[in-house]
Amino acid sequence: MSMSMLEACVFAVIFIGFFGIIFKKNLIMKILAMDVMSTGVIAYYILVAARGGIFAPIVDADQGAIAYADPVPQAVILTAIVIGFSIQALMLVGVMKLSRDNPTLETSEIEKSHTP
Amino acid sequence: MIDDITIIWILLPFVVGFSIYLLPRWNRYFALAIAALSVVYSIGLLWSLEPFTLELLDSFGVTLMFDELSGYFILMNGLVTGAVLLYCFDKQKSPFFYTQLVILHGAVNATFCCADLISLYVALECIGIAAFLLITYSRSDRSLWVGLRYLFISNTAMLFYLIGAVLVYQASNSFAFSGLAVAPKEAIALIFLGLLTKGGIFVSGLWLPLTHGESETPVSALLSGVVVKAGVFPLARCALLVPELDPVVRLFGVGTALLGVGYAVFEKDTKRMLAFHTVSQLGFVLAAPAVGGFYALTHGLVKGALFLTAGQLSSRNFKVLREQSIPRAYWWVLVLACASISGLPFLAGYSSKILTMKNILPWQSFALNVAAVGTAISFAKFIFLPKKTDPSLKILPNFYGAIVLLLGGLFVTNSFYLEAYQPSNILKALVTIGIGWLAYGLIFQRITVKLPRVVEQFEHLVGVMSLVLTGLFWLVLA
Repeated sequence: MSMSMLEACVFAVIFIGFFGIIFKKNLIMKILAMDVMSTGVIAYYILVAARGGIFAPIVDADQGAIAYADPVPQAVILTAIVIGFSIQALMLVGVMKLSRDNPTLETSEIEKSHTP
Repeated sequence: MIDDITIIWILLPFVVGFSIYLLPRWNRYFALAIAALSVVYSIGLLWSLEPFTLELLDSFGVTLMFDELSGYFILMNGLVTGAVLLYCFDKQKSPFFYTQLVILHGAVNATFCCADLISLYVALECIGIAAFLLITYSRSDRSLWVGLRYLFISNTAMLFYLIGAVLVYQASNSFAFSGLAVAPKEAIALIFLGLLTKGGIFVSGLWLPLTHGESETPVSALLSGVVVKAGVFPLARCALLVPELDPVVRLFGVGTALLGVGYAVFEKDTKRMLAFHTVSQLGFVLAAPAVGGFYALTHGLVKGALFLTAGQLSSRNFKVLREQSIPRAYWWVLVLACASISGLPFLAGYSSKILTMKNILPWQSFALNVAAVGTAISFAKFIFLPKKTDPSLKILPNFYGAIVLLLGGLFVTNSFYLEAYQPSNILKALVTIGIGWLAYGLIFQRITVKLPRVVEQFEHLVGVMSLVLTGLFWLVLA
């Protein structure tokens, strides 16, 4: 698959996630949609890293110059993955507590009862 | 030498933050020491006035940048955190609260000195998590919803920011802020969307009133005084580093100054009024990015004092407060803080406002003067509250400690810009306030306008992001 095709797919994932956040009614589904969106963003970093090549960036004297993948975006997105995952976990715990009094977890209902 | 001190100062809050969780008896003192350290460090920074840059781990590593601008922001962070800690001193908060407070302090400090996109991302996300845990400290359903809403909005905005960051990397092979100059336009739009949302600017900032209004008193003081500036500071810094971005930032400054004050003059709830007014004041910071630091400092001090005092009053409704009248001690605090933010001479709010007004472009001045009148109108609501003597009222010494720190800071920092005291400036400030109070007495006190809150709904907040993004594309492409 060509690079631009992959790029289009990645952006499609990001948009699907973003629209999921808006159009899904259930709070859990919204959080999952945000996860889809962040998966798209992570994939985009990987795509950018792979522009120059797809080999693991480990220098090997015997092989000579190979088209290595750029290690910087990968290293950076690793941090973002960890942060994204911890935020998801935190939000899901919050949702668990909310679900005791709002078993349907419909955002509009929760919002109505908590907007003064 | 200075490098080592800087690195220790940045790391210490995180080390101390986690370790004071294990020392429940000492946590308050350690937390106060961290805030004091930031104050000392920032005064040193402002005193030496020599900008310097630290590059850790060569060109792909962390870039830190220190100058006058960051000095003011760090001073603000130290003073407001210190005041909030004093306020909470005998409130029996759990060690968890202090841990989060100190980590939040450290993360905010980090945003005020980092100069590359990824360190900024990490610091902002850290702020998001710590602020969420502070907002939900009471564990009530409402606080959980408010916190979740905050975390959701900020995390979604930061995902857009990340896309922008990698586009900058693609163009300049580095994540440093200066790469924005060669970055594609869409990268700038995406990064700005993230920062505008995080900083509560213009329509992206409409999440802010509910969050700041519904949090506990000390937490809203901290959020409104310090935490939103973590999103504003990078915008100001980008405007200074990349001249092409300067007009965009200034435009957003003017827009948010008017939007926030437009809501604030009609608001009947004390804490929501203060929160809307924060949206407006951030506009003044961005309207003249080069001198925004001083304005942010005075605003942080005032907002901290106002939120802490508003939390002591018997009601949040201005109408009820007018009928019941408020204790004289609180009234004095409110008057001093309101006088500063409205720009009455002899308080730092006056000199910072004059300094900002001096550094704005001609096209901005009309809008910002209107916003200044609006500020005077909004705060007349506090100033003209009836006062009473209440002998049964007991004010705890720690409340006074916090207020003395904040208002004392206002008196002292007033001396940072003594050139402001010229007859024409004083006259202008007095006329602005006079018009504002007159308008309040004649018009705004009598009318009741209830602005719709539909734009503050969660789905609309997320939807607005796509609109702002589209708007930003047009703005930076133009």
